[in-house]
Amino acid sequence: MHTWLIYAAVALVLWGVTGVTQKLSTNSISSERSFLWFCWAMVALSSVVLFVVHPDWQLSRLVVLCSIAGGALNGLGAWTSFRALESGGKASIVISLISLYPLLTVVLAVLLLGERLTGMQMAGALVAIVAAILLSLEATPAAQV
Amino acid sequence: MSELGRARKIPLWLLWSVATIVLWGTWGFVSKIASAGMDAYINQLLYTAGLLPLLIFVAWTVRRARLNEASDKRRKGVFWAFLTGILGGVGNLAFFQALVKGGKASVVAPVTALFPMVTVLLALVFLGERLGKVQWLGLMLAFVAIYLLSA
Repeated sequence: MHTWLIYAAVALVLWGVTGVTQKLSTNSISSERSFLWFCWAMVALSSVVLFVVHPDWQLSRLVVLCSIAGGALNGLGAWTSFRALESGGKASIVISLISLYPLLTVVLAVLLLGERLTGMQMAGALVAIVAAILLSLEATPAAQV
Repeated sequence: MSELGRARKIPLWLLWSVATIVLWGTWGFVSKIASAGMDAYINQLLYTAGLLPLLIFVAWTVRRARLNEASDKRRKGVFWAFLTGILGGVGNLAFFQALVKGGKASVVAPVTALFPMVTVLLALVFLGERLGKVQWLGLMLAFVAIYLLSA
């Protein structure tokens, strides 16, 4: 099995668990306060990383900018998803629609990074998006963002 | 709906949803570029730096809202939110590592976006929730997708 696939599976499982813990959190507090403490936890985790791992800071400007932009993009995306749910969007529709986001990553990576997908992988990407939409259609309370 | 949303005849929730697609879709892309020149740990550190302006903004809105949540409820909610952040952050590290280890953004993004399958399975096993036919089909397709993407 490819090493990258194992790491991707770990991310998938951990993020999947957060679907439950986030719901448990917003059962008790507002999504804003919940998100605030989510961010504080990121700061805490990164502080630990900073002290445990001694990073090599010899980096090009482009990768630094992309990484910082990544945090801003992902955080803002979480924030806009709360706004979508709070501005009258039906949870199942909003979450299904948002599930389309990997499609944009695929398009950008193929067009701008020159990544090439095999026929199987292309089919896999489409099936993945359909699967994510179906999973959110009859969203159980725990499966809702 | 705000005046802006009404004027455009596009529901506000749709605009926020599309914004989310653009923001998250671009995240996978910039993360792949970043992963070409740094390890997963530095990526997570700088990611957190990018999150800070939003943290300050959200802290301000929470303070302004003066929500009066019962303290025991608040403690419980904060605990789960903090745990969500830790799990999400370690998940980020794994996501960045998948990209560092040669995973294509166009494959890693669709694979990791299947995380609701785990949420649904956990709800099924631990919360005793029942799945609808559509969700069962989604779960099956999720496994098919992982198989196809890993080929």
